Amino acid sequence: MEFKHCDILLDSLDNGYIILDDNFIVTYWNKWLCINTQISQEQIMGKSLKEFYPDLNYTVLQRKIKTALSLKTPSFYDPNSNTKFISINRNKVTTSSLTLMQQQVIISPYLINEKKVIISIYDISELHETKLLIQQKNDKVTELNEALEADKEIINQNIMIMRTLANGVIIDVSMLFCDFFEYEKQNIIGKSASILKIDESSKCLYEELQNIIINKEPWSGELEIKTSSDKSKWVEARISPIFDEENNLIEFNTIYYDITNKKLLEELYITDALTKLYNRAYFDEILSSITKNQRKADINFALILTDIDHFKSINDNYGHQVGDEALKAVAQTLKKALRENDVIARWGGEEFVVMLKNVTVKEAQMIAEKLRSVVENEKINDLLTCTCSFGISMYIASEKIDDTFKRADDALYEAKRSGRNKVMTKL
Amino acid sequence: MKAIELNEDQIDALKEFMNVSIGAATSNVAELLDAFATMHIPKIVICNSDELIAVIQSEVDPKSKYYVIKQLFSGKFGGECMFVMKNSSAKNLGNYLYHIDNPSQDDINDAVIELTNILSSTLISRLTKELGVQVQFFVPSAQIVNSEDIIYAEDIQHYSKIIIISTVLEFKDQNIDGNIYILTKDEAINSLIELIDNKLEELYS
Repeated sequence: MEFKHCDILLDSLDNGYIILDDNFIVTYWNKWLCINTQISQEQIMGKSLKEFYPDLNYTVLQRKIKTALSLKTPSFYDPNSNTKFISINRNKVTTSSLTLMQQQVIISPYLINEKKVIISIYDISELHETKLLIQQKNDKVTELNEALEADKEIINQNIMIMRTLANGVIIDVSMLFCDFFEYEKQNIIGKSASILKIDESSKCLYEELQNIIINKEPWSGELEIKTSSDKSKWVEARISPIFDEENNLIEFNTIYYDITNKKLLEELYITDALTKLYNRAYFDEILSSITKNQRKADINFALILTDIDHFKSINDNYGHQVGDEALKAVAQTLKKALRENDVIARWGGEEFVVMLKNVTVKEAQMIAEKLRSVVENEKINDLLTCTCSFGISMYIASEKIDDTFKRADDALYEAKRSGRNKVMTKL
Repeated sequence: MKAIELNEDQIDALKEFMNVSIGAATSNVAELLDAFATMHIPKIVICNSDELIAVIQSEVDPKSKYYVIKQLFSGKFGGECMFVMKNSSAKNLGNYLYHIDNPSQDDINDAVIELTNILSSTLISRLTKELGVQVQFFVPSAQIVNSEDIIYAEDIQHYSKIIIISTVLEFKDQNIDGNIYILTKDEAINSLIELIDNKLEELYS
């Protein structure tokens, strides 16, 4: 009567229950198992489980039964195992990664004296499927993370990046950044970005950049920056502000490109190798741009052509090396005596050309006189002095630049003809 | 909050109960798995939860992969039994219990779960029997992890104190060994203290 009551209880549960002895004889097989395995109680009860499930590892099952009976506590199968205790097809029609029911199998001691255990079989397929799905996603995340790490490493080694907080404190720099600017990463993190010394030539630009970034706008431009060992490097910097979800500025990311070689090439392209002044081609470019655009602010300029007097005799008397030294010295003397905005170039041989911006004739004459005087008073190599003759012309709006040159050349010729070391003007 | 501490008498009693439990465990392992095992005298440490990682890490090889098998037990004295064994030991165990040269991953998992279940059932059942309480065991779970991932700090951040009862199991003939940790936390430690006190009172009254 009591056993009958137990039968009803086991049949009404939504799990599989088998009562089995240590010889694998089934003494109970509940309704859930009958439905799911299509093996009826009449077929299996009183028979060995081996007849129905010959592939089961009975050595292991026997050990687990022994453990449960001996310890009087349950023993378990691994719920994640791909080996099923008993195969039950899974009838899920919609997407499923499991064709067989995933089971959690617990062997509990039942009637110890009769060496009987009760085997509970729980369907954990949904849980297991979720677990597999999470595992798949995790594997994908791991894979993506590895790819990301590899990319990060490539960026680290090949791109110069600096990350700063909104207040300019450096929070990260790439390895290439450290190599390029000669800083140790640990020594630069936490410092202000102003640790990067901006060259005088880029100071104006730097101030402009500071104003722009205060306004939270991106900025890009070329800067000359000193490395920690004071080497000058040219970089193109691109600064991007980073905002949080509420549009508060939180960081700046700066990417630097080394343009030092490009800058050197540019300089070589426009510079006269001996005197380090601009070369004739570059001077022509400047003039051509001014005369082409005819902007009012640019077209008010004077041209000065100047030529070292008796340069041939310097070469003849002291040799070409001294002649070159004289050319260099005169070039630098002239450059130093000019204003910052004025442009000077080597025109050819011992001849130089100067463009004085925004000057009257009188001012041009005064400047030329000053140039004449400084050259006259300069001692070259503590050995000799030399003089220059100067011809001035004023550019007339819309005229051909050749005409301006022609007048300056005529004036220079006149200065030479009238005894040299003179300034002459032809308007 | 009252500080959780075990006095000397309580620790001695716990050690004594554990020694009895370990004796039972070795005997059960020998009988059920037909293998001669030795277990070391247990170490009992009460530490802050954040120290658990250091305790476990001090006993593992940082370059190896490990099987970590965890089994929960509940009741008046509840907690977690954790068995940590090197990949190579787990393979040897699979090999031994399944009688095959190259046990599958499923075989190894099942073998380590089986061993953990025998050990934790015996150790905890015996201990709780001494303390006069009942305990319920749950299905163990097994994972293979790198040594640094045996325990994550976030796993234990909700606890303040942890009792670690640890011992080493060795099957010399089969080249299998592993570390067993019985971990119990906050309220369960208080229950344990209360149970030990009851037992001591019962013994000495």
